[in-house]
Parts: sequence; C-alpha cells; structure tokens
Amino acid sequence: MNSLSNIQEQYQRLNLEEIRITEKLDLLMGQQCDIEAKLRNVSLLVPRLKSVKSDAKHLSGMIHFTCTLAENVSAKVRELDIAKGRVSECQKRVNDLLDLQLCREGVISAMKNEDFEKAAAHVHRFLSIDETTLKLTAGDIAQGPTVDSSLVLLHEAQAQLCKVLQQKFDEAVRDTDAASVERFFKIFPLLNMHEEGISKFGSYLAAQLKEKTQKSLRQADGESTSVRANVYFADTLTVLLESVARIIEIHQPLVETYYGPGRLLQVVEYLQPECDKQANQILVEFRRSRQLDKQIHLVSEVLSNANKALHEKCDPRILDAVLAELTLLSSRTVLYLRFLRRRMANDLEVGITEEQTRDLRMNEFEKLLQNKTGINRAVQELLGHYIMLERYFLVESVSKAVAMDTAVEGSLTSSIVDDVFFLVKKSIRRSLTSCSIDSICAVINNACTLLEEDYALVFQQQCKLGFPSGYLDLTQAYNAIQSSLQQGSIRLQPSDTEKTKANFLTALNNIETSIECIETLDKNVSHEIQINLGSTMMSRDQEKIKSCLAGFQTSKSKFRHLLDFGHEQLKSSAIKPRIKPWVDQLLSVNHVIDEEEFSCYEAQDPFIQELNLHLDGFMSGFKDSLTVNNYQTLIGTLTSQVAQQFEKVIFKTAFNRLGALQLDKEIRALITYLSTTTTWTIRDRFTRLTQIVTILNIETLAEISEYWGPNAGTVTWRLTPQEVREILMLRTDFRADEIKRLKL
Amino acid sequence: MEDYKYLFKVVLIGNAGVGKTCLVRRFTQGIFPPGQGATIGVDFMIKTVEIDGLKIKLQIWDTAGQERFRSITQSYYRSAHALILVYDVSAQPSFDCLPVWLREVEEYASPKVLRVLVGNKVDRDDREIPPAVGEGFSRMNNMYFIETSAKDCSNVDKLFQEIARELIQDANSNDGPIGQQDTTHLDGAAEKSWSESNCCKS
Repeated sequence: MNSLSNIQEQYQRLNLEEIRITEKLDLLMGQQCDIEAKLRNVSLLVPRLKSVKSDAKHLSGMIHFTCTLAENVSAKVRELDIAKGRVSECQKRVNDLLDLQLCREGVISAMKNEDFEKAAAHVHRFLSIDETTLKLTAGDIAQGPTVDSSLVLLHEAQAQLCKVLQQKFDEAVRDTDAASVERFFKIFPLLNMHEEGISKFGSYLAAQLKEKTQKSLRQADGESTSVRANVYFADTLTVLLESVARIIEIHQPLVETYYGPGRLLQVVEYLQPECDKQANQILVEFRRSRQLDKQIHLVSEVLSNANKALHEKCDPRILDAVLAELTLLSSRTVLYLRFLRRRMANDLEVGITEEQTRDLRMNEFEKLLQNKTGINRAVQELLGHYIMLERYFLVESVSKAVAMDTAVEGSLTSSIVDDVFFLVKKSIRRSLTSCSIDSICAVINNACTLLEEDYALVFQQQCKLGFPSGYLDLTQAYNAIQSSLQQGSIRLQPSDTEKTKANFLTALNNIETSIECIETLDKNVSHEIQINLGSTMMSRDQEKIKSCLAGFQTSKSKFRHLLDFGHEQLKSSAIKPRIKPWVDQLLSVNHVIDEEEFSCYEAQDPFIQELNLHLDGFMSGFKDSLTVNNYQTLIGTLTSQVAQQFEKVIFKTAFNRLGALQLDKEIRALITYLSTTTTWTIRDRFTRLTQIVTILNIETLAEISEYWGPNAGTVTWRLTPQEVREILMLRTDFRADEIKRLKL
Repeated sequence: MEDYKYLFKVVLIGNAGVGKTCLVRRFTQGIFPPGQGATIGVDFMIKTVEIDGLKIKLQIWDTAGQERFRSITQSYYRSAHALILVYDVSAQPSFDCLPVWLREVEEYASPKVLRVLVGNKVDRDDREIPPAVGEGFSRMNNMYFIETSAKDCSNVDKLFQEIARELIQDANSNDGPIGQQDTTHLDGAAEKSWSESNCCKS
C-alpha cells in the first residue's frame, strides 16, 4: 500500500463492499417481519402437534390389529384351498383307480369282442394316467395287489393290441380292404403309436400308388391306336400325379384329425419317393417309346454342325407330337408341385408355431423335391431337351418355309412371312403350355434369334442383290449385251429382270410386313402369357418374361434397319439414275426469255408436263407392287431426289426475270402434282427449292433486303448467304459486282 | 421411363458351384448368402451403376451351372452385351472346363460380346489356380481377367464397374444404337487386364 492509486483502489473497493453490505442488511431487515410472522404461526401450531401424534399412534394400532385379523382369516382360506386341491387330486386318483378297473374290464371284453376301437380307447385312457402316482396311491391303500395286476394286465393288453393292430392292419392291406385300413389307421394314435401309424399308412398309400400306375402303364400297349395315343405318357403321368394329389386331398383331414396338424410332411415322405419312382418309370418308358434319345442325338448333331447336310434328319413334323407331349409332362409336374407346396405350407402353418422349425421343415420338404432321382429333376432334364428340340423344330421348319417361298396370288408379300410367323407363334404357344417360365423365356429368346438371324438373312441377301434398274441408255444396254455375249449366253432376259424386280419389291414388302407381324406377335404373346399364367407368376417371373419379350423390340429394330437398307438400294439403283435425265431436261430449256417466248411456253409447256408424266409413269409402276407404307416411303425418297436434282440443275442454268417466273410456274406445277400422289405433305421437302425460286424472282437486287436478314419475319432460311449470292449470279440481268456488294 | 442412359445385359456362366449367384448377390444386394442352393434355370437382378456421371442400368442374368439347364442358359448368350465366365480358384475342374464354355460362347454369343474371365473365391486358403495361370488363359483367349471374392467383397464392384465402363466405350465407338450387332471388330490382341495392380495383393 505504497502508492496513492493503490490506496484509492482499496478505498473504492471498501466503498463498494460497504454498499453491498448495506443492501444485504436492508434485505434482511425487510424479511424480518415476515420471518417473525411465520415464527408466530409455528408457535401456535406446536400444541396441536401433540394431539396429532397420539392420533397417529392410535391409527397405527388399529391397522396392525386389522392386519392380523385379515391374515388369520386368509390363512384359513388358503388352507381350505390346499385341502380342496388335495381332495380333487384324491378324487382324480380314485377316478383313475376306478377307470383302471373299468379299463381293465373294458379291455378284456373289448378284446374278446374284437372291438379294437373300444379297447384302444381304454388303453388310451390308461396311458393318460400317471402310472407312478397310481402305484404310490395303490401302496397307500389296501387294494395294492389289484392295482398292480390291473397295470400288468393293461400293459399286456397294450402290447397285445399293438401286435393285433399291426397284424390286422397288414391283413387289411393284404386284402386291400380300404375301410379296415382306415379303421386301424385311426387306432394307432390312441396307443401313442403316431410314427408307426403314419409309417404303415404311408407305405400302404405308396403301394397303392405303385399298383395303380403299373396298371395304367400296362395299358400302354393295348391303346396305341386311340386318339390319346400321342399323349399317352402325359396322360399316364397325369393319372399318377392326380392320384397322389387325391390321396393327399382325402387323407390329409384324416391325418390332421387323428394325428394332429403338421404331420403332412411325414406322409409325403413316404408318398413322394414312390411317386418319383413311378414317374421315373413313366418317363423312361416315354423316352424309349418315343425314341427321344435318338432324336436328341440327331438334333444336337444337326444343330452343332449347322452347315453340314446330314443324311438322317429329324422331320420337324414328327417332332411336333413329342414336343406337345413334353410340354404336357412339364405342365402336369408344375401343377402338381405347386399343389404340393401349397398344401405343405398350409399344414406347417397350422401345425408348427415356431417359425424357425417351420422353415426347417419346409427346407426338408424342398430337399425331398430336389431329390436326384425325383420327378422334378427328371422333368427339368426333359425341358432342357424340349428347348433344344423346339429350337430345332423352328430352325428346320423355317428353313423349309424359306425353301418353299412362293409368290401368293393377290398378295404383296410371299408365303414366307405368313409361314414363318405361323411357326414362331406355334412354337411359343406350345412353350406356354409347359407352364415353366424358364422354358417359355428360352423359347422366346430362341425365336428372336431365329428371326434376327436365319429369317432376316433371307431378306438381307435379297436386298443386297439390289433392284435391277433395266437399261437406262444405249451404252448401258450395249455393255450389258456385250458382257453376256462374252459369257456365251444372254443371261439378262427381260423376263429375268422383271422377275428380279418383283422379287426385290416382294422382299421389301416382306420386311415391312414382318415388322408388323413382330409387333402383333409381341402383343399376342404377352397377352396370352397374362391370361394363362398371370395369376400364378411371381413378380420376378413377370420381370423375366418382360425382359425376354423385349427381345422382339430388338428384332423389330433389326428389320427396320433392313427396310432402310432396302429403300436405300432402291434409291441408288432405281430412283436416282432415272430421275437425273428427266430433270436434266431443264438444261435444254432456255430460261433467258422475252415476253413472246414466255407466252409461247405458256401455250406449249416445254418441260414440266413431261417430267410429271415421267414421274407418274415411274410411280404407277410401283404403286400396285408395294405395301402402302413402302409406297409412301418410295414417294418420299423420290420427292427428295427430284428436289435435290432440280436444285443441281438450277445452279447450271441462267435466268432472266421472265425465265425465273417460268421456273416458279414449273416448280409450283411439280409440287401440285406430287401433292396429289400422297396423303401427307411433301412441301417440306421442297423448302429449299421454293426459297431458291423466291430469291431468283426478285425484281431488283435491292429487293433482297425485304426478304433477308431482319425482315425475314417468320421465314427460316435454309440457304446460306453464299448460296444466295450464287443464286443471284444466275440472273443474267444482275451485275456480279453489285451482288458482291450486297450485305447479307 | 426410368432415368438411365444405357441398359446392358450381363450374363454369368461357368460350372456349378463356382459362386456366380454369390457374386451377383454381393454386387446387387451387398450380401453373401451362406449355403446358397443351386440356381434353377436362370435368375436376374438389376442394378444401376454410375460411371462418370452417367447412369447405367445393368441387367444381370445369373445362370444355373448344371448341365440340365444348359439349353435354357444358352438362349441368353446372344442378346448379352457382356459374358462373365467364372471359375473357382480353389477347384481345378472348374478351370479345366473353361474351353468347353468358350466353345459354347463361340457358338451362341454375338462375336463382339465383351468376354470377361473371373477367378472367384480368392479368399480361400486352398487355392489351386495361381493368378498367372488364369491371366495366361484369358490373354490367349482375348478376354479380360480379374480375380474376385464374393465372400470378402474384393474386386466385385470393380468387376461390374469396369464392364459398364467398357460397354459404354464399345457403344460409343460403334456409334449405333445399343443392341445393334451388325458390324464386328474385335480390338486385336490388346492387353486386357484390369487387375494387374489388384489381383495379387492378397
């Protein structure tokens, strides 16, 4: 504390402290009267507390007393309860004892009367009694020996009943006495012999199945001439699978009632192996009888060496029947497996509450179905063969249709289109009857391959040959004759050319129609799939089918490309060379003319009428041999070609004002004529040409600014400034240097 | 319409049990299903991947390896843009069968299909096919090569990503619509491996 500032600081601090303490004191003083009032209240309450305390003590005593009382009372009730329980237990034991006697007597008499149900019921009652307690009870009372002897007797009765039951069951099986079999089957669970019962019954059902199938298989030889002979094995398999289904249908309720739910798997474990065995026998017989393996061998040979001609080929028509039967075999199996799965799922749902066990059982069941020698696998194998045979059927039939392709009277297409699409449709439809999604997809895939490869190739080759253009001028004709003379014969006779021409146009029509056919096929197939299988398909299956059907779209685009290629061929060999000389005629018509010549032209057209006549003649040559769409495409190509050629020629011609007017008239006449040939507008193909004519027809160079540049308005010019200059140069009455000076 | 630029079909083939289904499930669902049962016929999954900002939809067809489904699976070869031939690096027989599979590919698939050889199950200790052997085979047959493990996920995404990338390039260089398979040119004997830096890291 040596400096003034320090002292001042301390003083300040003390002042602040003082203020703070004063405030605090004020506050406490303020509270004083409040606290005093509270204290007064408290001192008033003190005497009352005493009475409260005594009251509480009293209450506690009361509660204590009541509690003891209640406990005393309830203890008695509890004792009563225990006593009652003991009494009823006693009663039960007495009842059991009485029942034991009753059972004993009942069993003896029932056995004597061969009333096995009654005997079993007695044994069942006996089995539900707790034997050890019974013995204890018996020890407590004097009746001991009787009870013991009853027990012994009942045990004996049980053993005997078991033996008799099994014996009787076997007897009933031997006598094929279905009613007795069922009767004894119901008794097993009464003797706690669930497993034995199901095992015996399962074996019995399996044996029945075997016998039935063998019988229907034996009929095979006798019935070879019947109408169903073609699908005999499919029918036999149907009978087998229906029998299994019926057995399950009939006996499941029986098993469920007497053995409890959740036991279907056990029954099926006996039935399915037998079903597999019988099915396999049918399928083996099927393969043998229909010579399937030989056909498979042949077909795979042919398919893998597609180019080599084999001596022995399988006639696709013979395959027809086998293919149909294969799809039937598949569809029956698919239906059967679906039935079985549904039943099993339902049974497990009811019988087993624990989800894990249920899944485990379901897996066991699936394993049963996937058995290496099972029907499921055998049919999968057959379907593999089916797909290959179906592919062969299609490939062979289509190559036949190609070979036998002929023109059809009154039709623009040849027989190949109808034939091929009929076959493809037939093939895919047949696959639908198999009910196997994977097979349907595979057949659709193969059909697309065939359309895009084998079938499209036919047209591709025809298009590549091109459209013979005939002799366009003398030199060409001369050259052609020269070359054929050198080869020793005149090959290109007019009739030949005509035929090639017709063939080309037919190919074009065939391609165009094929596109429509693919479209229809796509639609029909998806529709039929939805109708036939839609309800049973999972979403994954739907997706699969959808994706495979999309293959048709790819095929369609392939044909579209082919069609474009064909039209391109037609353009380069028929349209372009023809049109050129016709349009080139314009060059010989003077377009630098005076009034007199102009009116002369009006009186006698120098050019355009002839051109229109030529075009008319050209088009009428095609009109009746092309489909509507192809004809329209042709007109389109023709129009563009005329416009292009016209443009070229114009750039080689000189014009004056009247000559340009003449050209304007000519172009208008051309457009008017061409518009009459088609229903859609062709004007857009003449846009450039009309613009050229507009430019050519200006009075003075200055006028160009009214059309061009900022004054163009809604007109979209297709010409470049350079082209505009070139066009203007064609006018003999415009000066070149002025044209150059134009600002465009 | 869904929002994607390209749709490519990818088909997996190879012996039964080499892990085709597991590869597909790992890639499309990010799971490795233990105790996967044999595939019946064909199955297919869809996954959209993004390559350089482009959305590519891959339609992946997972086929059964067992012989009896062969004619079903064969029907899918032709429309495939890429074929993945899978073998199990711990099972010599699956590698020995490769030539048979290749013959099938030659016979049924489009000549310009993208062919990829995949050695799967590299996570296993009992490897029988060294990477170099697989790579040699792929080079001889003009295929891409990569080793994967569906179990520990190594190279699975890479496999499909690279396929998508390659297919985009093919589609662009052919300049035609997808699915057009007229012109054919295979790019010579160019070194085809995506995995030089990756396959041997384990």
